[in-house]
Amino acid sequence: MRRRGFLQFIFRAAAGALTSVLFAEKSLADWPEEHFSKGDFTTHFQQLFGTRTIIDSEAIQLMLPEIAENGAVVPITISSDLADIQRLYIWVEKNPTPLAAEIAFDASLAVYLTARIKMAESCHVIVIAQQGERLLRNQRWVKVMQGGCGTG
Amino acid sequence: MGSIKIRSRQLEGYTEIKLLITHPMENGRNRHPITGALIPAHFIRELVIELNGRSIMTAELGGSLSMNPFFTFRLKHRERGDRLQVHWIDNLELSDSAEYLFESDD
Repeated sequence: MRRRGFLQFIFRAAAGALTSVLFAEKSLADWPEEHFSKGDFTTHFQQLFGTRTIIDSEAIQLMLPEIAENGAVVPITISSDLADIQRLYIWVEKNPTPLAAEIAFDASLAVYLTARIKMAESCHVIVIAQQGERLLRNQRWVKVMQGGCGTG
Repeated sequence: MGSIKIRSRQLEGYTEIKLLITHPMENGRNRHPITGALIPAHFIRELVIELNGRSIMTAELGGSLSMNPFFTFRLKHRERGDRLQVHWIDNLELSDSAEYLFESDD
C-alpha cells in the first residue's frame, strides 16, 4: 500500500510538472463549479438561464435510445443544420448533478457531437443550444433499465 | 500518459474525428463493490481541442460522462499538415495531451 501511495505521488508530481509545461495557459479556475454542483435540475437550470426565453426546436436533432439497458453508458448524438450555434448544454434531469456537459465550439466544427453519458434513472435528457442570444431546446425521454450504482 | 486516442476519417464535405480517452470518470457517489467505501470523485473537468494551436472546442464536463469518454466531432475543413491537439485536465489536476497530424489531403 505504501508503494502504491508512493507511486501515486510520483505519478501526480510528474503529471503536475507536465501540466504546467503543456497546459500552462489553461487552468481549472475556468471550470464553472456552480454549474456542476449537486442539486435539483430546475434550480440549476434557472440559475444558468434565468428568465431568458427558451424556444423548443426540432432543428436541434437529438438521438438517444428510448430504452437504455445500462444507465452507465447512454449514447447521445446531437446535430443541427443551423448556423451560428456557439454552445451546447447537456442536462440529465434526474442526475444528482444535472448538468453533464457545457460545450463551446467555433465555426470550424459542424454542429455535430456524439458522447456517452451516465443516467441515474429514467428521465428527460435536455439539450440547450445557444445561437447568438437565442436559446433552443430539444429533449428526449429515456427509460433506464438499470440505474443506480455506477451511474448518474 | 497516452490516455488519448484520436482517429479521423474523411467523409464527403467534412472530416470526422473520434476521440477516446481512458479515464475512470468517477463522480464521487459510487461505492467500492467489495469494501463499500465511497470512491473519491475523479473526472475530467475540461477538454480542449485545438487546430494548429487555435482553440476550436472547449468542453466543461461534470461527473455524468461515462467511464472512458468517447466523442465524435466533425471538422468542416482541413488541409494536409494540419495539426489537431487535444488536452484534458481533471479534478485532481492530472492532465494529458495528444497531437494528431492530418497526413492526407482532404
